[in-house]
Parts: sequence; structure tokens; C-alpha cells
Amino acid sequence: MKKLLFILLPFLFLCSWVVLPDQSEETVARTKVFYLYNFTKLIDWPSDSKQGNFVVGILGTNITLINELNKMATKKMVEAQKIEIKNISSSADAAQCQIVYILPENSAQLGEVVNKVKSSSTLIITEKQGLVKQGAGINFVVIENKLQYELNKQNIENHKLKVGSLLETMAVH
Amino acid sequence: MKENRMLQYKKTIILVILLLQAVLSVAQQDKIIVAYNFLQQGNLDSAKIIIDKAVVDSESVNDGEAWYLRGFIYKSIYIKSEKGNRQSPCRLEALNSFKRSFLIDTSRENIQKNTQNIKYLSSTLYNDVATSLDSINYKIAIDNFDKFRLFYMLIDTSQTSFRKRDIEFLKALASVYTQIYETDRKGKTEFLNLAKTTYLKVLQIDKNNYTANYNMGILYYNQAVNLINQSDYDIDIVALNDIQDNSIKLFKEALPFMEKANEIEPKRRETLLGMSGIYFSLNEKEKSDLYKQKLQEIGN
Repeated sequence: MKKLLFILLPFLFLCSWVVLPDQSEETVARTKVFYLYNFTKLIDWPSDSKQGNFVVGILGTNITLINELNKMATKKMVEAQKIEIKNISSSADAAQCQIVYILPENSAQLGEVVNKVKSSSTLIITEKQGLVKQGAGINFVVIENKLQYELNKQNIENHKLKVGSLLETMAVH
Repeated sequence: MKENRMLQYKKTIILVILLLQAVLSVAQQDKIIVAYNFLQQGNLDSAKIIIDKAVVDSESVNDGEAWYLRGFIYKSIYIKSEKGNRQSPCRLEALNSFKRSFLIDTSRENIQKNTQNIKYLSSTLYNDVATSLDSINYKIAIDNFDKFRLFYMLIDTSQTSFRKRDIEFLKALASVYTQIYETDRKGKTEFLNLAKTTYLKVLQIDKNNYTANYNMGILYYNQAVNLINQSDYDIDIVALNDIQDNSIKLFKEALPFMEKANEIEPKRRETLLGMSGIYFSLNEKEKSDLYKQKLQEIGN
């Protein structure tokens, strides 16, 4: 009877298959975009703001967020209005926007923006603790790792905007 | 007189029994010799028929030599006709026969020749595991690995070699499950659960296994990310709230595995990316930046 030969083939090549993590920055930005789109549905703008594009102005730099907002703008509308995402460089551009989103590093410009949009139907969104007390309508906050928002109804209504009850209910109190 | 006759009867009966036994034994021996001759002539089909009859006879049921011969005949059929069949029935019959012979006859020579054959055939099982570990044939791989384990354990009782092989196999299997899940994240969630269960089995054997810890972290992490990314822009604010709760739970489940992986290999790029990503997703930017900093330090 013949001598036996055998080889054990390794399958280590399969073990080394490594998946890199998906992009977390996109996910966080996407969550903010979901919120923002909900705001457009749960807040009512006066009729004179329902003409032309629905302009969302971003004050500050966050490429990931702007990309995600642009993706949303290509797919969704606010009622009959196309959504336009605008990277604004100063508070001067804010009055033409239905929403102004002030990014955290630009929070110091909130006062200027509030002054510029005094008579406009503009919702001011911020992202730094306590800014609803300084004129912002909605302020993103993180509570127990979760992105939530504070809401100052008076600040919003001062701009002739109507706040839906669900938006109020879901806000952090 | 009567007693003498009775004695005569008894003697006759005993003689008849002995004669019958001798005849049967010769017949039995004949079968084994005939089967062997068929094997020598290369007539494997006839050898198989005869040896199958021989081993069920009471004379041979506990004959190590007969079972060894059966193993050899079935092994020859496997090599000749079923080598490409990863579920070869003849290979299994051969292994079972060698096992039986191995257990019946513990003489050194018998143990040695059965060991050699069990080693060879179980190695072919193991090699078939390696070639069937893919998204289509993985069930064959599982079955063959179980069989390989069962037979190889007879001849190699060292726990260390099995521990290593079990880990290798389970990690490869978990990778296959993950790949299947990745083809359809929504429709094939059962494969995500199978991947997790399989990596947990690796961690039960070796809690410091880097790959299993890292991949467990990634599975939870990507699952959490997918919850958000697969949502539609029309998601209402209540559902968004729930999705965030679920994704936070998953990110928190990912964290201890990724931390462990990072503890084992603190300079691995993918682990630092994972740690940074988990903390960023948990909205803990400072901690996330800390790992980004470490990533920069190792030079990306």
C-alpha cells in the first residue's frame, strides 16, 4: 500500500478580510439634514416666502453637511419650492434665506444675523448650548449622546413663522 | 447403555457445531481474501460488495483487519472516482471503517496504519473546507469541518492545535457570513447575526483575538450607521428619534469590542478610525478628535 501524502491548506486569507468603518461624519450630518427637512414641514412660512426657491443659508464651513444638504435638495422640495443650499459668508446674506443655519464656530455671529433678519421670515438654527436665549429659533444640542433640539417659540414667531405642535412636543424642554 | 448413547449424541452435536464454525470461519476468511484479491486487481466495485458482506458477519464484526480492509477499499474508490466530490460518501465510509478498526484493534501496528489513513482522509476534508468557504458552499464547509474535527481528534488529541484550527475556521466562516450580509444589508440580516454569533465563539476561545474583536466592533458600528443611512428624507421626527435611540445603542455595543481591539493593537489604522468614528457618532467630538490625533501620529 502506497505511502500517504497530505497537505493542509490554510484559509488564513479569508480571516484577514477587514472592513473599514463606514463614514461617521456623513451619518451625523445626515441626521441633522433629516431634522432640518422636518423643520421645513413642521413650520409654516408666510405666503410671501413661498415664492422662488426655498433658500437654506449655511454660515460656516462644514463640507460634509453641505454635501448632505445638497443631496437632500436634489431629491426633495418644500411644498412647491425647490430647495437651494447656499454657503453664506456673512450675515448680510441672511435676509434672503428662509433658514439660516449658523455652524458652531460661527456662533459669535448670531447677534448680527438676528439684527439682519429682524423683519424677514427667517428661521435661525444654531448649534451651541444656550443660543435659543440669544435669538436662535432652534438650537441643536447633544443630550446623552443623542442629537436633539431646543426650541424658542417666541423667537420663531417673531419672524412671522408658525410652529407646528409636534415640533414643539419633540423639542427638549 | 442409555448413558453411553446420550454421550455419543452430545459428542456428535459438539462436533457438528465445531465443524460448522470452522466452515463458517473459512467462508468468512474467504470473503476477506476475495475482497482483498479484488482490491489487488483494481476491481473496486466487487471488492466493495464482498467486504460489505464480510463485515456484517458475526465473525468479522469485531475484526480490526476486516474493517481496515473495508476502509482501504472505500478510500481507493474515493481516490479513483470521488476525489472532486466535497461530499464524497466513500470518503466518509472509509473514515468510519478506519475509525472502527482503530478502536477495535489497539495493537501498535493497527493503530499506526489506521492513523496514517485517518490523517490523510481527514486532511482532504480540511482542504475541502478551505475550498468551499464561500457564499454558496459554506454549509458544505461547516459539515466537512465538523467531520474533520471528529476524525482528526482520534489521532491528534492536542487541544492547542484544535484551538488554533477552530479559531481560523470560525473567523473565516464569520467573514463569509459578513460578505453575504454585505450583498443585501436589508434582506440578509440573519447573516449579520450569524457573523456576530460566530465571532463570539472565537472570543469564547480567545478573548484577546484582534480580528474577532475588531470585526465585532465594525459589525455593530456599521449596523448603527446603516440605520441612519438607509432612512429616507421623509422620516418623521418621532421615527428619527427612535432610530437615533437604536443607533446609539448599537454604537455603544460596538465600543467595548473596538476598545479591546485597540488595546491589543494600539497602532492599527482601522482600529483608530473605528474608535474615532464611534465617538463621533456618539457626538463625543473631543474623544473622537483624540483618536484622529493618534491616527495622524502613526502617519495615516
